[in-house]
Amino acid sequence: MSRERLIAVIDDDESFRVALVDSLSSLGYGARGFAAAEEFIAGDGTQPYDCVITDIHMPGMSGFDLMRRLLAHHSSVPVIMITAHEEPGLEARAAAIGAVCVLRKPFEADALTHCLERALKA
Amino acid sequence: MDKTAPTVPEEQRFILTSASPSRGQKRLALGVMLAFFGAVLILAGELSNIQLGRIDAFVPAYGTAVFVNDLITAVLLFNQFAIMRSRALLAIASGYLFTALIVIPWMLTFPGVFTPGGLLGAGLQSTDWLYNLWHAGFPTFVIAYALLKDADPTKGLWRGSAGAAILSSVAVTAAVVCVVTFLVTAGQTHLPRTMLDSVHFSTLSHYVAGCLILWTAVALTLLWIHQRSVLDLWLMVVVCAYAIEIYMPSLSGLARFSAGWYAGRVLGFVSSILVLSVLLYEITTLYAQLLRAVMAQRHEREARLMTGDAVAAAIAHEVRQPVSAMITNADTAVRWLDRSMPNLDKARAALKRIAVDGHRAGALIGSIRAMFKTNARHRTSLDINELIQEVIVMVRSDLQRHRISVQTDPNLQARQVIGDRIQLQQVLLNLIANAIDSMASEDGPRVLSVKSEVVDSGIMIAVADSGKGIASQDVDRIFNPLFTTKPDGMGMGLSICRSIIEAHEGRLWFVGNTPRGAAFQFVLPIAAA
Repeated sequence: MSRERLIAVIDDDESFRVALVDSLSSLGYGARGFAAAEEFIAGDGTQPYDCVITDIHMPGMSGFDLMRRLLAHHSSVPVIMITAHEEPGLEARAAAIGAVCVLRKPFEADALTHCLERALKA
Repeated sequence: MDKTAPTVPEEQRFILTSASPSRGQKRLALGVMLAFFGAVLILAGELSNIQLGRIDAFVPAYGTAVFVNDLITAVLLFNQFAIMRSRALLAIASGYLFTALIVIPWMLTFPGVFTPGGLLGAGLQSTDWLYNLWHAGFPTFVIAYALLKDADPTKGLWRGSAGAAILSSVAVTAAVVCVVTFLVTAGQTHLPRTMLDSVHFSTLSHYVAGCLILWTAVALTLLWIHQRSVLDLWLMVVVCAYAIEIYMPSLSGLARFSAGWYAGRVLGFVSSILVLSVLLYEITTLYAQLLRAVMAQRHEREARLMTGDAVAAAIAHEVRQPVSAMITNADTAVRWLDRSMPNLDKARAALKRIAVDGHRAGALIGSIRAMFKTNARHRTSLDINELIQEVIVMVRSDLQRHRISVQTDPNLQARQVIGDRIQLQQVLLNLIANAIDSMASEDGPRVLSVKSEVVDSGIMIAVADSGKGIASQDVDRIFNPLFTTKPDGMGMGLSICRSIIEAHEGRLWFVGNTPRGAAFQFVLPIAAA
């Protein structure tokens, strides 16, 4: 590995966000948490993230809104979406706008690493 | 109608005759008043002396319009009286009725309208004296209104039946108009001469007009002193218009059918339509406000009522968050420990986070339990049949969509139980929603029956449907949490219903319906009388 891969974690649920950031660092990634999509956008744009993991349902900007904004800015950063909702059809909607995969909470560490490998290979 | 007079400020807002005028309304009233005086200034010169010639249709058209306007205004004001029971409103409503009624003999006796000399055996002076008494009468009613409105509330409010009060006011007003008409027709020879002929007024009419204007000035002053409401504001405008209307013919070379005379009549018409328009406008606005308030209240109530599945989905989402964090933290802790150089600090931090999340999940479950625990404060005595009707109204569109007919008790006598209204609505809503679901996929007649009856242990409510029923092997499990026969159900509805009923010291059970379908019955303790 030439350099540490950097991943942004966006989730309004603090305990899960902290857990996921620590989980990623235990997997050998650099990770930073954001409580909202707006916070991520406002944050240092110079930081080149290798992957974005975002919750879908958040107050304010949703995961889909963020994805559309990234696309509008010609960003090629791969996006993984997570959700605690049971709403059917989210996978199809996420795939349609180019998300790498959707993880439904609670998910196994294996599912996360599998998604990350796909995302970072691209 | 509610017999107590509303005195709560919150309600006053919705009562037109007591709502205070807004700045915009005051400005509009001032604008109208200025327009009236503007008209006087324009007509005060030579213009008003121009004799325009007689338009035969004018008097009947004007009279009919004033009659209709004032009659409708009177009806609206009598209605306001029925709500507010204020004697002042009864007085002003009678005033409008008086003007509406006195217009009839005025029209009938007007020379040349129906017969050359006027009907009812009228003489030369009759019509003008009817006009004078009409224009003296209305300010009198306004004075009564102004004096009564600020009277001691115990005297100002009508205690008896509103219907009787209105009927007697109508009878008295009609009698007064009849007597006045009789006096000015039968006794016409004794009337002071205000008319020289059927067109020209005498000089005496000047003095009569002066007295009438003074009388309206008294009315205006009293209104000004006691002004408070939107109605007061517009009555002041109307009284001003009356004064100007009386003044106009005096300007105009003292003749009927002069420009000034026509202008006076037009002004009379405008003033008669003024309070009516204001009442109608205000009533429509208030209706819209009330409608919005009722809708908001209803939305709020429905938002609190969720079917068991919706409750379960919301709970599942809330619990899933800490559980997901716990699983991720556990994985992470294992990973920190599995390293060739185990990172004990990181592992310890992850384990601590698991404990925190566990407490959070525990607190959530506690708060959910608290939500279903019956709070004694919310318990009131309520009519179970009224509650059934409310819930049926809520699901009416579902019932119509699935063409389900509803049977309820034909004689809906009040049956009082003690309970939490929202929770009992929730139980009924769940049972009825289940019944609708069960019938939606079935052919044959779809009948939902919701009935209550008095039994030994209290009041029994039965919700029965003609749907697919419940399979015998499932009957023992339907009340278990997480058991469901619905493809997208969570199986929480019936178990929540049973918890609620048991918290009310009642029982909920299932019986088969004949010839098909399911019936759920529950008993609630009867409220002590």
